Amino acid sequence: MNIQYKKGVLELCVLSLLKKHDCYGYEISEYLSTHIDIADGTVYPILRKLKSEGILTTYMQEESGGPPRKYYSLTKLGREVYEKERAEYLDFAKKVEALLEDDSDD
Amino acid sequence: MTKNEFLSKLADELRNNNVSDADEIISEYEQHFAFKMADGFSEEEIAAKLGDPAAVAAQFESDADSRKSGGGGRKAITVIGLCFIDIFAGAFFALLFAWELVMIAFSVCSAVVSVCLFVNISPWAIIPPMPPLPGVVFGVSMASLSVLSVTGSIYFAALIRQLMRSYGRFHQNSIAIASGKAVLPSLSVYPRLPAKANRRIRNVAVFALVLFTAFIVLGAIISIISSGALEFWHAWGWFGYAG
Repeated sequence: MNIQYKKGVLELCVLSLLKKHDCYGYEISEYLSTHIDIADGTVYPILRKLKSEGILTTYMQEESGGPPRKYYSLTKLGREVYEKERAEYLDFAKKVEALLEDDSDD
Repeated sequence: MTKNEFLSKLADELRNNNVSDADEIISEYEQHFAFKMADGFSEEEIAAKLGDPAAVAAQFESDADSRKSGGGGRKAITVIGLCFIDIFAGAFFALLFAWELVMIAFSVCSAVVSVCLFVNISPWAIIPPMPPLPGVVFGVSMASLSVLSVTGSIYFAALIRQLMRSYGRFHQNSIAIASGKAVLPSLSVYPRLPAKANRRIRNVAVFALVLFTAFIVLGAIISIISSGALEFWHAWGWFGYAG
């Protein structure tokens, strides 16, 4: 699938995962690559962009037997942005689907 | 390419592209290597899957990109402009608050009048004299009017609150645009109450309006019949003389 097209939707997927619980970077990367066919490491630039926009925030957490991990978490603004973009995307996707399904030659 | 080769190349590319906090980015990729290696992949495999360090680095926005519209001058102009708008918006909000106070006062007054009519008392002679039956009927209509006014002030208070939030967001966004920061989604001007609360307020308001109209008409009819005059207010001497 078109990479540019996928990138925009990827942001939304990251937010939807983080809405459920806080995650560390690799966790997000692996979660997405099990569902969507993306190249390794694609999410890291997205995470940094979302953080610089104030949609995500990070904190370090000690892990047993390893270096501390950087966790990502949705900010209040992030939740707001997610709800809005989610509704917009679902509405858009529904319309596109209706258009594409109706391809009978008449 | 080994892990160290990949990371040092990535660090060089990030620095070339003028990306800030490169260390943070590098540590994220270090973790990626650590996790993948724990899963049994070799350093070469992992690096190959990540792709060319230059291509990876190109995906990170440089500082120049994210602050392309900077410039302190533009921000200063925006702030001055916002101050002027604030003067008008402030007056507008003062007006809205005043109107909210008027509505609350009106609700309280209608409630007091309705109680006076029910128990048939007239403190400082504010209630015109009338027999108990029309008094009770008018009392019901005044009570409905009070309820109607209360629902009105509740909705209006929600409207003021939402307007202030929306205006605050506009403020924030204007400054964010001028200083090249991320813009937040704008907020709607109308209050979005939960559907259930919305329905309830509307039902109560409609019910109160119907009750108010019905009982004021009923009260007039009863007054006309019991006073025996079409202009019952003259018959009861409301304006200082008996007709």
